[in-house]
Amino acid sequence: MALFLQLAWLIPALPLLGCALITFTPLRHSKPASGWTAIALMLLATVLAVGLLAATAQGLALREGQVVSLAESHGAEEHGAAKEHGMGEKHGAFAFPEPNLVQRITWAPTGSSVFTMGLYVDTPVAAILAMVTITSTCIHLFSLGYMAANARQSRFFSFISLFTAAMLLMSMADNLLLFFMAWEIMGLCSYLLIGFLYERPQAYRAAVKAFIVTRIGDVLMLLGLVYLYTQAGSLTLGVKEGEIFNPAFLERIGAERGFFGLSHATGIALLLFCGTIGKSAQFPLHVWLPDAMEGPTPVSALIHAATMVAAGVFLVARTYPIFLADGGAALAVVAFIGAFTAFFAATIAVAQYDIKRILAYSTLSQLGFMVAALGIGGWVAALFHLLTHAFFKALLFLGSGSVIHAMEATPAIERLHHQDEYAAQQTAQDIRNMGGLRAHLPWTFWTYTAGYLALAGVVPFAGFWSKDEILADAFKGGHWIVFSVLVVAAFLTAFYMTRQWRLVFFGNFRGEQPVVFHNPEAPRKATHHADEHHDEHEKRHGIHWHEDPTMTAALVVLAAFAVTAGFFNLPFAIPGGHWLSELWGQEALPFSPLVAGISLLVALGGIAAGWTFYAGAFARASDGDPLATRAPGLFRLLHEKYRMDEFYQASFGRLVAVLALFWAFIDQILNRVIDGIGQITLFVGRFNFIVDDTLFNDGPDALAGGTVATGKNTRRAQTGKAQDYVGYVFAGVVVLAVFYLYVLRR
Amino acid sequence: MDLPAYLIPSPDGVPWLTLLVLSPLVGILLVGLSAALRLDDRVVRLGATAWTGVPLAIALVVWSRFDPTASAGGQGAVQLVEKIPWIQAIRVDYFLGVDGLSLPLVLLTTVIAPVAMLASWRLSDRVKAHYALLLLLQTAMLGFFVALDFFFFFIFWEFSLVPAYFLIQLWGRENRRYAAFKFFVYTMAGSIGMLLLFQVIYLSVRQAGFPTFDLIALGRLGLGLPVEGVTGTFRDILFAYMEQLGVANALGRYPLLYTSIAFWAIFIAFAIKLAVWPFHTWLPDAYAEAPVAGSILLSAVMSKMGAYGMLRIMLPFVPDASQYFAPVMGALALVGIVAGAFGALANVGGDLKRLIAYTSINHMGYVMLGIAAAAALPGGAAQDSRAIALNGVMVQLVAHGLSTAALFYLAGALHARTDTWSLNDFGGLRVIAPTFAGVMGTAMFANLGLPGLAGFVGEFFIFRGAWATLPFFTALATIGLIVTALALLLMFQRLFLGPLNERWKGLTDLRPAEFWTMMPLLSLLLLIGVYPGPLMSLANTTATQLVAVFQRVLS
Repeated sequence: MALFLQLAWLIPALPLLGCALITFTPLRHSKPASGWTAIALMLLATVLAVGLLAATAQGLALREGQVVSLAESHGAEEHGAAKEHGMGEKHGAFAFPEPNLVQRITWAPTGSSVFTMGLYVDTPVAAILAMVTITSTCIHLFSLGYMAANARQSRFFSFISLFTAAMLLMSMADNLLLFFMAWEIMGLCSYLLIGFLYERPQAYRAAVKAFIVTRIGDVLMLLGLVYLYTQAGSLTLGVKEGEIFNPAFLERIGAERGFFGLSHATGIALLLFCGTIGKSAQFPLHVWLPDAMEGPTPVSALIHAATMVAAGVFLVARTYPIFLADGGAALAVVAFIGAFTAFFAATIAVAQYDIKRILAYSTLSQLGFMVAALGIGGWVAALFHLLTHAFFKALLFLGSGSVIHAMEATPAIERLHHQDEYAAQQTAQDIRNMGGLRAHLPWTFWTYTAGYLALAGVVPFAGFWSKDEILADAFKGGHWIVFSVLVVAAFLTAFYMTRQWRLVFFGNFRGEQPVVFHNPEAPRKATHHADEHHDEHEKRHGIHWHEDPTMTAALVVLAAFAVTAGFFNLPFAIPGGHWLSELWGQEALPFSPLVAGISLLVALGGIAAGWTFYAGAFARASDGDPLATRAPGLFRLLHEKYRMDEFYQASFGRLVAVLALFWAFIDQILNRVIDGIGQITLFVGRFNFIVDDTLFNDGPDALAGGTVATGKNTRRAQTGKAQDYVGYVFAGVVVLAVFYLYVLRR
Repeated sequence: MDLPAYLIPSPDGVPWLTLLVLSPLVGILLVGLSAALRLDDRVVRLGATAWTGVPLAIALVVWSRFDPTASAGGQGAVQLVEKIPWIQAIRVDYFLGVDGLSLPLVLLTTVIAPVAMLASWRLSDRVKAHYALLLLLQTAMLGFFVALDFFFFFIFWEFSLVPAYFLIQLWGRENRRYAAFKFFVYTMAGSIGMLLLFQVIYLSVRQAGFPTFDLIALGRLGLGLPVEGVTGTFRDILFAYMEQLGVANALGRYPLLYTSIAFWAIFIAFAIKLAVWPFHTWLPDAYAEAPVAGSILLSAVMSKMGAYGMLRIMLPFVPDASQYFAPVMGALALVGIVAGAFGALANVGGDLKRLIAYTSINHMGYVMLGIAAAAALPGGAAQDSRAIALNGVMVQLVAHGLSTAALFYLAGALHARTDTWSLNDFGGLRVIAPTFAGVMGTAMFANLGLPGLAGFVGEFFIFRGAWATLPFFTALATIGLIVTALALLLMFQRLFLGPLNERWKGLTDLRPAEFWTMMPLLSLLLLIGVYPGPLMSLANTTATQLVAVFQRVLS
């Protein structure tokens, strides 16, 4: 067991090794070899992570290379300090868990001090690591089949391995700078993987959008980090002197005022929270996540559902003492943003046709649940929901991938594929074109159903327990607004998921005459070529439904977790109940039958409403949505996502373009000024030259020349003959006489 | 000559710095010899490139002899010092030495020079002259970084313009005459103030009985540290001389006024070189019109001369005026950051080299911000914050040098294949040139400050240091982080993503030689990004001691 603590550093190192092996060795030339290498290393990391979780669950810890039991050494310096200063008493139930493992190295000198980097494992981290490695391994496995047709499958594995390494490293970071670095590398991987099919304009545009929109949150988070670093003198997690959760320090930043009359704690917390808004795609920076669905489906499952987008929630959870330090102002904002996003995204999901986009908006909404939970003090509930959501949402995405994979093999879409790959893929993702897939894809159907029930919140599936705990926290804390908004969002969740589930798996298959996606940027290709193929295909296959074994295996594993993950924190006082709360050292929330009843009622109500509302809808793919026929205006508004993208394009997009022009213009003016100064200098030079040349150059020259000429002429006058001189004297007298008579006398 | 404790001569008695500065000159002689022997251009290329290994090796020796933690007399120790009287009449010494501020830049110069040589590999026109000029430029830059007497400092400073001018003028693009002329005259004109200032400085220290052009001694006077043979601070000495001249009676008896005039004379000279807004307009022209090797040396090393000058002269000589005008510097830095970022964005549909040039303006803005923050009020801000800002500046200088050199090199490689610089002409190259895209992508991400690569370390520590003294400028400077990222990503997109432009169907991917030219740069970027400790500890001691003066309110 102690071995797992000592080997913890291998957990992020193994996927990183996988990335390096696949990128730089000849392995990259073989798709299966690179895939299996990545999977094998992930499996190893999973074993280590689960072992680490077990070790921490036993209360084992590593102190100066010695394995000790935390239960016995309780009351030792750190934990004791936290308790004495009353973090727990003052701010409800929360106490920052004691670390099981801290390993640090000196990273960079900073004046008289040094910056240390290292790994930090406590029980929540161990749980996150286990979750990430398990889902990531499943998704690696799934990609083996799903991405097999892609020529760049090796590179795909290298990217998702790098991503996994970054996510694991972020979880284990012992300071917020390392946390941020890994966080940004995840952003890089997200960029690379959204734009994985980079021949498509939609893909690379979505990739740039994702990177830039999250970067807006990230730079504000960076400001939060430098703010915190300036105040605390370090970014190291922990409660000791000089570390960021030191009780005396928290008290100080909670009391002192900084900018705009906010306390330092509020300012730091809100800036950090901006990172969450970007990464976890909360309103108003949520716009990148639905577009991110341009990436291959395993990417959507891994990065944009289970792990990276949850990192924002993890950030708030990790820095929770700072959010608590200001007495609740920052948390109120957190709660508001989370609850609003939960509701807002759920309404949009109701009116989407794209199977992946529905899930994407659902992810937004569920992340909103987690963020809201943190905002109202439900720290355990938020992390619990993070864990369960990761399993069932990854499952749902992979299930949708399996569906899309099968849809792409149907004749109508294959035909389209030859003309325009992108349109074919979009058409394959349209739930209007599905229907009745239950019979054709049984494995997918049953696993998807498990994920669906978990998301809708039906007892005893995983989502029920964690969502119920969030609602119970809101209820217990008296946060009525948050509570009611979340209840409505939960209803909508059950409703839109039932709509999707029903349209995909029940009714008749409508894919023979699909609603074809109109691609405004369709590549111009000869189409006759495709028509030839089309007859051939139809004769050969009919519709050939198939489910890939590696893909199915991944679905089954995740489905098992979607069913059972809720049992890790059952709200009953039975053996094994409140397991996560106890593991994380937090006070357990007692079971509230009233809230559980409301929660279940809402879920069942949503399901019933969805089932009846869409009964008999979409006999053909081209039919309108029942909601669209009853409330066309509302449906359009929701379908067009409240036109947020258009609004941003028209406001910020245009502003940036105008500013670029403005600065280019300023540069031109500056250039003119510089050139003007140059011209003036040149002119002065010319003028100087002319003055020099005429006055100082020609003048003396002329003077000299004149003197010489005068001399010459004068010399000629010196003839030496007396009669000449007499003549000169006479002439002189005449001139003087004339001068005297006519000039002077007058 | 008896040296004070803060000047440490070479431990083994070998004049390493002289060898360092002279080694490229020997290379020029060899190029000349090859011309006399009528050797083939290929031999010259190979020989000149191989010869750049000599300064690199000497620089590594210098590094190994350098003790980054040594400090004495209230400053980081200047090491491997060589000090010989040179012109007795005006007390000029031949004075070379390195400290934490110059050594990283010396190393950067010697690393970048081979890359510049390799970037000129395809040149076929007047090859020998080209390589001789590159070596000459390297000498001038190395000399600038190690010279500690103003006489030599200024000679190297001005002299570096000459080879750079001819490189642009003779091997540049269409608009090269204009660009070369502007670059040369602008920098030259900017340093007139500094030249005049040093005449005045010399006269005033002579008045105080301590005639010298010694930058270290003068810096110590400015910082208020004891110097043997003279009492009083730089400010007092300057003011006493002004009084004696009677200038103080005419202009006013404010000591700060005269240090302020000195400040502006120094600041403008270096700000032009660093391309601080609004003195930056020569830069896009010069970088864009220069041949690739010229762009690399100009952007990667020459612009750093400006920052180095500020750290070596401006902050120590006139700390009071630096502190007083820090908000102005911060504001100019901020405008430069924003203007550079948007300028890059405005070039997304235009010239690849101009775009990279504008990102340089943006990055040098961060450098300026860091320097301003190290000096700014309030005096109570932690000394560590100021030191962190300067450490960040040093990392940023090195990181930007490495990443921009890589970007310009790759832009040149792309141009060699396609004969166009316009970003509108590309598209989809990643399909046929995946390695090229990968390498350029790495350089680009290093440039835009992705964590794990060197650029981020510099930016993070600059922001961290600047937050303590100039929080609002720091907050607004983040706009630059977003917009530069956008511009570079759009650049990458226009080059590599989307459907392949049929024109470049037969384009070759990065050749092994090109790949191995880039590998050292990218490895260094990664190394510094993952573990910046060794680089930062070079500067840390010197920077920490330097900023101690700003702990007080000086004006």
